[in-house]
Amino acid sequence: MLIKRKSADVQRGRLQSALGGLASGVMDRRSFLRRSGLVAGGVAAASALQIGAVRKAEAAGYGPATGTKVVKNICTHCSVGCTVKAEVANGVWVGQEPAWESPINRGSHCAKGASVRELVHGDRRIKYPMKLVDGQWQRLSWDQAVSEIGDKMMEIRAKSGADSVYLLGSAKFSNEGSYLFRKFAAFWGTNNVDHQARICHSTTVAGVANVWGYGAMTNSYNDIRNSKTVLFMGSNAAEAHPVAMQHILTGKETQRANVIVFDPRLTRTAAHATDYVRFRSGTDIAVIWGLLWHIFQNGWEDKAFIAARVHGMDDVRKEVEKYDPKTVEDITGVPGEQMKRVAQTFATVKPATFIWCMGVTQHSVGTANVRAICTLLLATGNVGSTGTGANIFRGHCNVQGATDFGLDISNLPCYYGLVEGAWRHWARVWGVDYDYFVSRFDEVPAKGGRPARTRKQNMETSGHTSTRWFDAANLPAEQVDQKDNLKAMFVMGHGGNTIPRMPDAVKGLEKLDLLVVCDPHPTNFVSLGGRKNGTYLLPICTQFETSGSRTCSNRSVQWGEKVVEPIFESASDYAVIYKLSQKLGFAAPMFKNYQMVQGKIGLEPTAESILKEINRGGWSTGYTGQSPERLKLHMANQDKFDVVTLRGAKGSPVENDFYGLPWPCWGTPEYKHPGTHILYNTSLEAKNGGGTFRPRFGLTRERTLADGSKVNDTLLAEGGSYSLNSEIKDGYPEFTMGVLKKLGWDKDLTPAEAATIAWIGGNNIDAVSWTTDLSGGIQRVALEHGCVPYGNGKARANAWNLPDPVPVHREPIYSPRVDLVAKWPARPDERTLRIPNLHTSVQKAAVEKGIAKSFPIVLTSGRLVEYEGGGEETRSNKWLAELQQDMFVEINPADAAERGIRDGAFVWVTGPENNSKARVKALVTERVGKGAAFMPFHFGGFFQGVDQRGNYPKGADPIVLGESVNTVTTYGYDPVTAMHEGKVTLCQIAAA
Amino acid sequence: MSLGAHLRFLVTALLLAVAVGFAQPGEAQQVNPTADSVKEQQFLDALKANPSAELRGRVTIPDAKSATLERPAGREWRAFHQGTMTKVGAVAVLGTLIAVVAFYLFRGRIRLESGPSGQRLTRFNGFERFVHWLTAACFIVLALSGLNVTFGKSLLLPLVGPEAFTAVSTVAKWAHNYLAWPFMLGVALMFLVWIKDNIPGMVDIRWFLAGGGIVGKGHPAAKRFNGGQKALFWIVVVGGAALAVSGINLLFPAEAGGVLNLQFWNMLHGIVGVLMVATILGHIYIGTIGMEGAFDAMGSGEVDLNWAKAHHSLWVADEMRKGDVHGGKLQPAE
Amino acid sequence: MARMKFLCDADRCIECNACVTACKNENDVPWGINRRRVVTINDGKPGERSVSMACMHCTDAPCAAVCPVDCFYTTADAVVLHNKDLCIGCGYCFYACPFGAPQYPKVSNFGSRGKMDKCTYCSGGPEADLSPAEFQKYGSNRLAEGKLPLCAEMCSTKSLLAGDGEMIAQIYKERVVKRGYGSGAWGWQTAYRETIAI
Repeated sequence: MLIKRKSADVQRGRLQSALGGLASGVMDRRSFLRRSGLVAGGVAAASALQIGAVRKAEAAGYGPATGTKVVKNICTHCSVGCTVKAEVANGVWVGQEPAWESPINRGSHCAKGASVRELVHGDRRIKYPMKLVDGQWQRLSWDQAVSEIGDKMMEIRAKSGADSVYLLGSAKFSNEGSYLFRKFAAFWGTNNVDHQARICHSTTVAGVANVWGYGAMTNSYNDIRNSKTVLFMGSNAAEAHPVAMQHILTGKETQRANVIVFDPRLTRTAAHATDYVRFRSGTDIAVIWGLLWHIFQNGWEDKAFIAARVHGMDDVRKEVEKYDPKTVEDITGVPGEQMKRVAQTFATVKPATFIWCMGVTQHSVGTANVRAICTLLLATGNVGSTGTGANIFRGHCNVQGATDFGLDISNLPCYYGLVEGAWRHWARVWGVDYDYFVSRFDEVPAKGGRPARTRKQNMETSGHTSTRWFDAANLPAEQVDQKDNLKAMFVMGHGGNTIPRMPDAVKGLEKLDLLVVCDPHPTNFVSLGGRKNGTYLLPICTQFETSGSRTCSNRSVQWGEKVVEPIFESASDYAVIYKLSQKLGFAAPMFKNYQMVQGKIGLEPTAESILKEINRGGWSTGYTGQSPERLKLHMANQDKFDVVTLRGAKGSPVENDFYGLPWPCWGTPEYKHPGTHILYNTSLEAKNGGGTFRPRFGLTRERTLADGSKVNDTLLAEGGSYSLNSEIKDGYPEFTMGVLKKLGWDKDLTPAEAATIAWIGGNNIDAVSWTTDLSGGIQRVALEHGCVPYGNGKARANAWNLPDPVPVHREPIYSPRVDLVAKWPARPDERTLRIPNLHTSVQKAAVEKGIAKSFPIVLTSGRLVEYEGGGEETRSNKWLAELQQDMFVEINPADAAERGIRDGAFVWVTGPENNSKARVKALVTERVGKGAAFMPFHFGGFFQGVDQRGNYPKGADPIVLGESVNTVTTYGYDPVTAMHEGKVTLCQIAAA
Repeated sequence: MSLGAHLRFLVTALLLAVAVGFAQPGEAQQVNPTADSVKEQQFLDALKANPSAELRGRVTIPDAKSATLERPAGREWRAFHQGTMTKVGAVAVLGTLIAVVAFYLFRGRIRLESGPSGQRLTRFNGFERFVHWLTAACFIVLALSGLNVTFGKSLLLPLVGPEAFTAVSTVAKWAHNYLAWPFMLGVALMFLVWIKDNIPGMVDIRWFLAGGGIVGKGHPAAKRFNGGQKALFWIVVVGGAALAVSGINLLFPAEAGGVLNLQFWNMLHGIVGVLMVATILGHIYIGTIGMEGAFDAMGSGEVDLNWAKAHHSLWVADEMRKGDVHGGKLQPAE
Repeated sequence: MARMKFLCDADRCIECNACVTACKNENDVPWGINRRRVVTINDGKPGERSVSMACMHCTDAPCAAVCPVDCFYTTADAVVLHNKDLCIGCGYCFYACPFGAPQYPKVSNFGSRGKMDKCTYCSGGPEADLSPAEFQKYGSNRLAEGKLPLCAEMCSTKSLLAGDGEMIAQIYKERVVKRGYGSGAWGWQTAYRETIAI
């Protein structure tokens, strides 16, 4: 019999079940509308969700029906921080539902977020520990693997020193994992610990922190809904941060906002712009100074803001004079009229926000690029209020948190730096003797004309960067400023195809005595080949198989609950770090503050207990208020937060809190600081989320006048700029016990607080500051008086302690405009972080060799929405891999025609170094201008035309393989952070 | 729309493979992608000028046909399939049946006027008969399974119910797909074997002018194949080729070069198919009940000399001249 | 009675493909079958627009009209579904469909097709609601659970709207009025013989 379903009865039943709420009033029209995807600014339709959940639970149907529980975690694919709602039945993740209640994603996902369930079903994961024996993968037990690795590490340590082991961590760690790994490095005795922030926003963090205090996004994705002008530069949010576009496009509609996109490519983001400006890769500073030229010329700057809150703008004014429209058009390719229109819009249609990503940061002038943008924001008064700000979209899901917790060569957790005070602070928090750490570091002998370093000096010296790990293995030992070359890499959650010069990386890999890759998927470190022995693969679970907090780009901290147990033999980061510490002999002191529970491969610390330790020490960044209890309360009450202001609703358990307690969240958890939605926002009280610029560069600066006389300019805020209801109606320095005493506010400290301060200060109690006071008393008292603990200073348009204090345009190392190199050369050769940085030599050689003629196309790189980072994880996900099956290069139709290249045909892309080449498909499109090409950076598994699938352990190879763009990318490193120049080089393209 | 118009429109679509292009914004100082956005109305306007226009874009998946966002031309195909195809099919098949029945009633069986001679002449050898019956058997299954696609839904489905109908249709589909190959082989062999006897000539015109002997009395002169048989030969060869080409395209949709092509091949296949069915119905009638003695030619392969003289006088004369009549081809009746 | 429709607001669509993977995830759609896809028109040019497309669940659906075995049916929510037990994989629905929605698994003989698969508007098939047989053949049945198709529910920018036609048309209309532009309700004229007048 035909089941035609024309029978009205059956159908009515179905419709009623779909829309039952409409009639019964359980689901009103508005909530139905919300479920249909709509209503700007609406909150989640919780009622509708419950209807679904109840009905599902009642239905005697398939899988999810009975005993289904819903677990909330956070998407592991970008920094937006979308809530993932997992339905779990019998320990199996059976479905994903939209998390309407999350103020960040409101139910939405991108391709990656909508497919994360596959990560814990994936049959391409590493299934058990393995090691490479004569080119063959052999299975090992966890105990044996960790034992062999530990023995080898100790052997290398004895021979070459602790610094010879490189600890490469991950932006996909939880906050607790990041912190633990940094702590592990401290116990091991090296500052050679890094993670992906090096290659995505290290220049942002360094640049922004050096301008106004903290290296992070100032506002939030949600706050962009308030902007009247949104300027993107080097950011393709539509592919890299898709859910952010929900807020931006809504803002564009409701505010009728201007959306200006500066990019060498007409990206998917640019397709939604109201003004698209194409410019030449690597000329960002000339663009920004070009805009400022018009702003100064026409008096569009915010004079009051500059006077009260900015230092050094006159120095910028002088530099900017050189960037007249003609010069700028010559450098950037952007006509003056276009620049003028954008400058006027940005300066006058306010609030305006500036969004940037790796298009700005991955340059040999990355830090200067960032500072130029900050200067533009300062000049137009677009910082520290709603709808404004430096909205830096960070990359990985916890790259902000991993940066905050010091997976960085120059910092202990929470940006304490490496100075003795910092070490003593964390030694106190950890309950370990400071001298123990000193003893763990290498003594560095004098070499290469450089003086020797004591253990203490080495402990306070920044480490070696991940962008150049292979240089530390390959260069003559004399050039490497540590005891010995790199001998081992211990990599947790980091791809091997993410940095330029892969042919050099291959050589570096062959030099290593030990390579340990801990990851859910075997990364490109494994597929690159060359190694036959001494490589270990340890299976790590994803963040969906463990718990912990992660910090999104907007500094909101979200708690992710374990969805399912780690699959196969994989284990959590916590468990593996503990196991290795045990082997290396420092587990007892390192883990003594934590609650230990039995895990799959042994004991492991709970994330909650690690976060509590962070809360006890993270004063400088305001990571002290975000207790696990408060974070879990936020996750349970997501629907109570406003989607624009992120404020918790009145009368709710999270009343007044900002969602996720974005740092700084001052004081102890009990102090109930709401977190800081918008940094440096003077229109709120400090204890209610307000702030000021952070004076961290001294109190005054000497300036020489025209007549030779000298004056001291204040670096504290002036002109009545202070946060709302501050008792000090002027600029003020950071709070120490000494300052409290001067103000007479020390009497407000409780006896317990005073006792703690006395214990810390010893005989120099006045030096105990808001960052080292473990009681939180100094912060509390400052806040109670309406003051920001770190002070009230000016932002700097002139960062005198950095290279190029006022940014100047410098041609990329590999520039197509040889004629401009003489006038705008790269920086002179120098040493950056333990090794030489040969900007000028390489640039000069390129000019002399006529590289620009033989490699005439400017090559840039970027993201695809379907993949993330090095891409092994996402290329192993069948739902994603199906959507992008081939590595490609975008090439302009004119360039393609000249070379006889057809759309979809194979081409060779060749690079100017190492005779490098990559065989990829051509995508002929006007998206890139003539003379420019683009390649995505997520591919790996092919190397210079050779398929390397055989190098993966059987069954753990990603579905899709392809050439890595970094096979053909080149030399070029930022002088401050050694960020690679991944966004501009030269190449040639020929039909294959 | 008439079939001709359909075909014209489809051929045009095929040749042009139209993709809609939109005007580019001028070299203005401001590039405003929001204001310059493609509008669906542009496509709808383009459709008015060219109903087979389709809207193509770029997709990342390898399935090239998925890059077509909209192709309203399916509407025309649907109209053809639900209208013209059904009508033409019904008229051709039913019309032929009615005509044949009417003819039979009116004319009755065409008798061999002179009666059997008792002498038999070999008309088709074993191979020829094998080729014929191979093709014929395949054609019958192909025709029935083909007609089922257009008419089964209204005729068979109500009788047997959906499950049984699907079972039948599934078998029919497989039979159609597989028997297509021996059928094509058969048509090809027929062509090779009989082409030399099927070159049209003046005698055929005279044959037609004389009404082929079906109307009126007496038979016009004819060679081995008379005008009507030659016409059938060419209909089978050309029609068979058309069915083969279109059928092969339909069998391999991925290689057919897009849906517009598939639609065209489908229309061609359907129309040629029903016309062939109609023709063959007539052929079957003449070859069996319609004409005394005709079936023997393909049955046993031997015909009565008198029958041969009546219908293929020139061929008999030829055979006689060659002496084949006495050389073995002519057998005395037992 | 609700008349379910899809509407892709191309001025919001960023081709993030969430709808595509959400569909795969929810319905366990195998590699090579694309119930939903995103097509970019004028790719790389300033006016490029991406449109997410699947079965539009047409009024007077052409697929149903031409199906030789009559395996299609329209639910009271106006969702066009089909019965895979009856489908013979002839491909006629693909010839007729203006949106390229029907998908066929490859089966062995020649290029011949298996049973057709397409978007069900997350409302299963003729089997009992939420039964294992229904899930295995057609995927999930969210409508029976009081939920809308997951593609639209998870859309990153709330570009893809699903729900009662009048309601989503109203939402779209309000958006266009508020922002002052709109590239059109893509496919509505073809699928529903109507468009949204602003």
